[in-house]
Amino acid sequence: MTHAPDTGDATRGGPFARVLAAIGSVALLVAMATDAIAVVGRHLRVPLLGSIEIVQACIVLTASAATIGTTLAGGHMVVTLVIERLDPARARRFRRVADLVSAAFFAALAAGSVWLAIELWDAHEISETIGIPLRWFRALWCVSAAVVTLLFLRSAFARRAAGA
Amino acid sequence: MMLTPEVVGLVGVLLMLAMLALGVPIGAALGVVGAGGMALLLGLEPALVKSGVVAFETISKYELGVLPLFLLMANLCFAAGASRDLFDAAAAMIGHRRGGLALASIGGCAGFGAISGSSLATAATIGLVALPEMRRRGYSDSLATGAVAAGGTLGSITPPSGALIVFGIIAEQSIGKLFTAAIVPMITQALFYMATIWLLCTLRPAEGPATARVAWPERRAALRRVVDLTVLVVSVVGGIAVGWFTPSEAASVGAAGALVVCALRRRLSFAMVKKALADTLRTTGMIYVVIIGALLFSVFVNVSGLADAVAEFVAGLHGSPLAVVLAMAAVLLLLGCVLDGLALMLLATPIMLPIVESMGMSPIWFGIFLIRSMEIGFITPPIGINVYVIQGIAKDVPLGRVFRGVVPFLIADLIHLGLIIAIPAMALALPKWLS
Repeated sequence: MTHAPDTGDATRGGPFARVLAAIGSVALLVAMATDAIAVVGRHLRVPLLGSIEIVQACIVLTASAATIGTTLAGGHMVVTLVIERLDPARARRFRRVADLVSAAFFAALAAGSVWLAIELWDAHEISETIGIPLRWFRALWCVSAAVVTLLFLRSAFARRAAGA
Repeated sequence: MMLTPEVVGLVGVLLMLAMLALGVPIGAALGVVGAGGMALLLGLEPALVKSGVVAFETISKYELGVLPLFLLMANLCFAAGASRDLFDAAAAMIGHRRGGLALASIGGCAGFGAISGSSLATAATIGLVALPEMRRRGYSDSLATGAVAAGGTLGSITPPSGALIVFGIIAEQSIGKLFTAAIVPMITQALFYMATIWLLCTLRPAEGPATARVAWPERRAALRRVVDLTVLVVSVVGGIAVGWFTPSEAASVGAAGALVVCALRRRLSFAMVKKALADTLRTTGMIYVVIIGALLFSVFVNVSGLADAVAEFVAGLHGSPLAVVLAMAAVLLLLGCVLDGLALMLLATPIMLPIVESMGMSPIWFGIFLIRSMEIGFITPPIGINVYVIQGIAKDVPLGRVFRGVVPFLIADLIHLGLIIAIPAMALALPKWLS
């Protein structure tokens, strides 16, 4: 079966997690309000220019904060059918391997994203209608992917220390 | 030995399955195999650049913003007491009949499925309110647990469903069309479950005894309590269907509407909104990682030529499209017994969709077929995650009894899946008519 550990309130887990939750939440509410106002505006023939771009920017913030928050809470989706039937020591070893594989995945995402961000940095990418500077959002995602990599590595080393 | 790209693709699929079994997070398993496979076939630089492109495109995709916003709508409605009210309304109307509370739980699941978009959430929330009530009124454990476990699967197909959204993103299909395509299969699935309950209670009346009829003033009061939720869901799904707004906009309208519903019910508070947002963020992070991984895996499968090789192999068999679809259904149902629903969808889509398209079949129909197959996996042993969720609520009911209770609904599911295969218009007629 699949399991995403129920970690309860995702805002628990220290000030870093609370700040992330606040950023992601505010961005999500802004995205919601922007699109809802845009729909009403369109039907009243008062279009909200650049609403899609504002929502996109908000979603980058939400997704970045949510990805780090989920990792901090240990909430990624895992198939536990085999692992929960193993003895604790072996299960811990497999979880450590899982952490290392996850770190490798996010390291690849971070490396690729940094590569692209560097290539596009001087192009000063902006959104079409209201000119939102996209390079800062790219940079934010690069940092997020790197932070998640470090979190998985920290978890792997913590399991190693616990098993020693 | 020289490894052909197709062999690399096949090894990648097997490696990914092994990693899933050993507890690697689904997104990471898909993504590592995807990026690693591309590095092997194309080189490190293209693989890294593609990984970066896919990651940023995914998290900045406007259309994918629909997912956290629908999740927010679901969490707000849940906090407003939607699951209890939906079940109570259905129970007030038909609960007095033989098996009526089980029928009501199917109705509650269909209603809450439209809000939650998730099988697990639907089974868990309706189970919490419906199971104690059914057991208190003398329903058999197997009927009570089986009905809620099976009814919960309606959450995956009832629009706006998370599974439909993820399929739309992976397969690059219109989410609005998928939503409208799912309506008839969802309604017929609920009717099949209701017919199953009626049949069971006709053959064995003790399974779901009739109870006292609720007076009309109470019925009207129960119905009044769900008017706001009904208006919200009908506006969101109907608004997409008739073109008032796009699915992405509908999610925002739905979430804003859910806030209004909470305010009207005097449940709106800072703590409640904070919890709904926190729950939304947790699920959002989980799903975004899975989607990024799945997209990378999909690119790798395409680059390896594995999907084309499988399509050619299938074409070489000179089987009829029906035989191919039946074979795919068999594979999906078998894999569904051991693989999580989302993982099954993400694995199957890049391999099976090209086959379906090469035979001239509709990708929209395939999406509905795939999600129905995935739903069946939610109640099939040994994985049957909905069964475990229900057993977690009714801890004193042995797991075997819950699985036995699910069997009649599984048979109904298989017949229903057969109908979707035999009559594709079940999924395709409504989007065509509305367009």
